[in-house]
Amino acid sequence: MSVKTLDVIRKRLEERPDELRRARENGLKVVGWVGYNVPEEIIHALGFIPVRIAIGGDDRLVEIGARYASSKTCVFIREIVGAFAENQDPYIQQTDILAFDATCLQNYRAAEVIEYFFKKDVVVLAVPRNFHLDEAKEYFAHEANEFTRLLEERAGAPLDSARLAESVALYNDIRKTLKSIYTFQASKDNVISWEEVYDLIQAGDLLDKREYLSLLTQTLDELKERQHHPVIASDDGDCRIFLSGSLIPRGDRKLIGIIRSVGGRIVGDDLWSGILPHLDLDIKEISPAGVALGYLNRTPHAALPYLDLESDRRLKKLQERLSEFKAQGVIYHTLRYCDPFTFKAKETKNVLAKSGIPLLEIHTEYAGSDYEAMKTRVEAFVEMIKIKSEIAEEQGVLVDA
Amino acid sequence: MAITSPFSYPEEIKDKFIATPGLKFKDGSTVSSAEIWEFMTKEAPRRFPYAFDAGANNMGRFSDDVHFLSGIKRGYLTLTLKDRVMKQHAAGTPTVLVQGGQAMDAYYAAGGIPVRPGLVMQWARNMEEGLSLRQSETLGLNILESGRRKISIDACNQIAAHAAIDNKVVPIDLIAPFLCLRCSDMSFLVETHRNRVHDIPRYLVDYPVDHENKPWAAEYIAVELRELIDKIAALSGRKITDEVLFDEIKLENRGRRIATEIADLWWGAENPPTNSTDFFGIAFLANDFVGDPVAAVDLLEQSKKEIEERIQNNVKGFGVPDHAKRLFICGSCVGPNAHHAQTAGAIFVGRDDSWSCISVPVQEEGDPYLNIAKSMLAYPYEQRTEKRAEWTADMVKRSRADGVIFMYQWGCNYQSGVARMISDIVKERAGVVTTFVEVGELGRSEATEQSTNRVEAFIEMV
Ligand code: SF4
Ligand code: SF4
Repeated sequence: MSVKTLDVIRKRLEERPDELRRARENGLKVVGWVGYNVPEEIIHALGFIPVRIAIGGDDRLVEIGARYASSKTCVFIREIVGAFAENQDPYIQQTDILAFDATCLQNYRAAEVIEYFFKKDVVVLAVPRNFHLDEAKEYFAHEANEFTRLLEERAGAPLDSARLAESVALYNDIRKTLKSIYTFQASKDNVISWEEVYDLIQAGDLLDKREYLSLLTQTLDELKERQHHPVIASDDGDCRIFLSGSLIPRGDRKLIGIIRSVGGRIVGDDLWSGILPHLDLDIKEISPAGVALGYLNRTPHAALPYLDLESDRRLKKLQERLSEFKAQGVIYHTLRYCDPFTFKAKETKNVLAKSGIPLLEIHTEYAGSDYEAMKTRVEAFVEMIKIKSEIAEEQGVLVDA
Repeated sequence: MAITSPFSYPEEIKDKFIATPGLKFKDGSTVSSAEIWEFMTKEAPRRFPYAFDAGANNMGRFSDDVHFLSGIKRGYLTLTLKDRVMKQHAAGTPTVLVQGGQAMDAYYAAGGIPVRPGLVMQWARNMEEGLSLRQSETLGLNILESGRRKISIDACNQIAAHAAIDNKVVPIDLIAPFLCLRCSDMSFLVETHRNRVHDIPRYLVDYPVDHENKPWAAEYIAVELRELIDKIAALSGRKITDEVLFDEIKLENRGRRIATEIADLWWGAENPPTNSTDFFGIAFLANDFVGDPVAAVDLLEQSKKEIEERIQNNVKGFGVPDHAKRLFICGSCVGPNAHHAQTAGAIFVGRDDSWSCISVPVQEEGDPYLNIAKSMLAYPYEQRTEKRAEWTADMVKRSRADGVIFMYQWGCNYQSGVARMISDIVKERAGVVTTFVEVGELGRSEATEQSTNRVEAFIEMV
């Protein structure tokens, strides 16, 4: 069921590091960004090439990172630090400036450690914890202006409002197209899998944005041609899994591979390395503050605490997506020492149990040593869902009869 | 197996002790030294035997320097915390969970009693009386484990305080700490209370990171402080005016000032006038106020007088080894065992965490909310790590330290993340040896060998 444009994208990804190198030789600068609320449009509009630095799955780099940032730092950040220490990642090698946000404090610490040990030029965007309060928004607007000022200094030119408007329009189109594509993977008789869409989303972290939009549009056209009316529904024997929790960056496909290998079908996610950051981003004003507030007002990241369970937008979004994608169970992925997601695992399980959705927490690292244990647990979970849906189906048949 | 006899204060110091002033409290009451003596020699050993365990592994062990009489009074304030807080709570004073290392002025001014996680746990363990050290630790560990089961095994041991609140071991009326001073776990632990049967109100005061030269950060905190004070005042029934706030600020500033003066005297002395336990206890009083700023400031004044006298007479604190290696301690929520270090030939001459908050007084004129916000944002410990490390290096030089130990708790992400960075910078700027140690014991005094060995090996190296 191969989608041809995906092959083009894979090829373009292989060529991308070289392309970045050439662009830099021609005077352009690459901004590597790490975090969850970095307003990428501002970077883009200033003429920089934005590249998201999000890698995982390499235990060796985690080990190296721990030498600089302690073994109690989350696995993801340890790997990032390790990758900067080693300086072999083709994208890290091409970065001139780094932009970190402080949505998660561990990300902020990574900024400090990388700046100090590896002498990188780092710009930080602080993020308010009380993100939902007016005073926090006012604070964040100031932060966005300061972040922009620091980048303008490095760009050697002020941010042009018209260019910012163009970047916002471009990114809005990317988000819109991604959302349309995403529907196809969850449909009955799907011609594109969630895994392919996931890779496609992550390709956007690295490719040139205009080219990326055009490749997305081609992908969407191809999909529409092959599947006129995608309907989100089960195929026979499907076990529809929704993936939630700590991010799963490029390089880390352990859990995703396991789910597939035991017969689970992923049909949706709310990962910050997946579709979630592209949802609900409504930029109301073309200005640094307007863009940044658009980011902050999305479904909040788990690192931003929220004290009322009933009105928690993150959980509401999860429930909404579960029902939209007709998911039968949630695999909640938590990385070692990723407190923002780990501390909420049991709570999320309780909340979903009320609507009959089972949740399996997989707490893991990048080492391969827990592979078999993970597989056994995921397999049992997938089996349990299949049996549950068979029973439900039988009962449905009986009721209908 | 030899059993160490419990620690006790010798009768021969009694007369001298009861001739010293007692303590004044914020409700206007007083306690005489004779009453303190009675409590510390009769009532407390019966009610809190664990505190009198003389084993070297007892982290909370009293100072051996029984002639430093303010130290006995400090023990009194610590052991009476439970009685005092329970009494005030019964009379309608709200208790508020806060974060360590933050200003307490606003909480006290609004008529509340702020208690940080460490004090919550001490209070929780004291709710059952007559316990030996082992029993008291088991009680603490059971609370800790219940929290870890409910939330996560990745949490640092602060989770115990939240479990104590959840399990209603101690009555807390409001959960309202500052975020994210020094700590990554606090915000997520506070958040877990939303999924509990209890309905304790919660409020977070956001403390933004990376705030240097950003006036909007102080303005943001000031707005939140108003809301915080309104919430506490609604529970306490106290009417809050700027004057009320300034009165509290002035009192706590006095405490901070005395503590910094003591530190300067102490560092300048030819011989350390107190041992590590007493020296650190002083900083703690001015940082935490142990439920009663009036009593804490009173005791700080008495401590200063005693230290001045000792320095005048060139008296060395009891237990301070000859030619002691001077160690500066870094990190939050955990520190090396002072008794072990003393036995190994070292004395602690400073601590970045507690001294950071003390070093910045709050301005006493203008907008009190903004003033508190600005002073908190000026805490050296909460600056960007490179700047924090430079301040630490300066403190290391001022305290004439020979070595630096950065310690962090198992499960602590935010401090551990910069342990090496700070150690490296301090080593370079202050020209002393440094090390960092992870403490994995999670409150077990019987399993301290690993961190103790590392500290002792470091002392030998120094
Ligand atoms: S959210 Fe989790 S994975 Fe991401 S930086 Fe924070 S701790 Fe690490
Ligand atoms: S040990 Fe670290 S994470 Fe735990 S309360 Fe202290 S600062 Fe926070």
